[in-house]
Amino acid sequence: FAGLADVSISEDIPVEGEITVPVGSHSPDEDYSTLDEPVRDTIMRDLKAVGKKFVHVMYPKKSSALLRDWDLWGPLVLCVSLALMLQGGSADSKDDGGPQFAEVFVIIWFGAVVITLNSKLLGGTISFFQSLCVLGYCVLPLTVAMLVCRLVLLAGSGTISFIIRLVVVVAMFGWSTLASTAFLADSQPPNRKALVVYPIFLFYFVISWMILTFTPQ
Amino acid sequence: RHPLATFFHLFFRVSAIITYLFCDWFSNSFVACFVTILLLLSFDFWSVKNVTGRLLVGLRWWNQIDEDGKSHWVFEAKRVTASTEAEARIFWLGLIICPVIWTVFFFSTLFSLRLKWLALVIAGISLQTANLYGYIHCKLGGQKSIS
Repeated sequence: FAGLADVSISEDIPVEGEITVPVGSHSPDEDYSTLDEPVRDTIMRDLKAVGKKFVHVMYPKKSSALLRDWDLWGPLVLCVSLALMLQGGSADSKDDGGPQFAEVFVIIWFGAVVITLNSKLLGGTISFFQSLCVLGYCVLPLTVAMLVCRLVLLAGSGTISFIIRLVVVVAMFGWSTLASTAFLADSQPPNRKALVVYPIFLFYFVISWMILTFTPQ
Repeated sequence: RHPLATFFHLFFRVSAIITYLFCDWFSNSFVACFVTILLLLSFDFWSVKNVTGRLLVGLRWWNQIDEDGKSHWVFEAKRVTASTEAEARIFWLGLIICPVIWTVFFFSTLFSLRLKWLALVIAGISLQTANLYGYIHCKLGGQKSIS
């Protein structure tokens, strides 16, 4: 219980009955003398948590793992890869590509923040970062759709390729929306569920639209 | 006593700032610079939050969500720190100076109208200020619940 002795509480804050006891793995590590071992453990633990969440998105069952241990690494990686793939196909230069990349970034993060604020204003019980985490991770199916679209576009950009891309994007859009709704709608009272689902639907719709209308120069 | 931690504490933050200032020399591509700086800022955030704070000054902060879904921010301070005066000073200087520099970048970007960098600068400010705020909270002591 060495970790407990170190928590200091200032005098003028009333102590309520909600003090959480830091669990063993989080307490300060006083005994490590080398830097390597604890850092490697920390890195592996975080990497495994990220991997587990990706799996949870692909098979969305109502589980609390995604909700409790939130992290924003997955959304960052997905956002960056999606923005990279949505680059206009022209050669790297200072003027081209720049605004588009930053636009995708801003749309995804700003959109996620707005949806989170919306659900909190509607009285949701989920916390700010948890909601961002879920929305960010559920972009995974759409990132896969983008990858597929780019591969299909390499083969050609006629009607058949458009139909294939349309089907793939619609399927992944449905998957994303269903996955995130499975996690987020439960935190709302029943009569508000549609009000929460609608912005999520719009958010993924905008991203799907960007993916579907992407044509390399 | 923790030279590697001290090095990494400063390495990511300073590299991010240097890359931002001299990105025109490194590469012509806006995207490459953006992604590089963003990754450096993220690694810096993670390493300062999870490793260097714990090792250099014995402070740690995190967010914990308990069984019924309420989120708590926990700020922890070690009473007997195993660090030296110099390391603590480097830690706090690095922690305070870099957000100030990013704020300066924010205004310079805004007024020189290089707006495509604004998103990156805002990300940099938020990440570094979050660590600064968290550690100041730890230092001042106390536990807070934010739902």
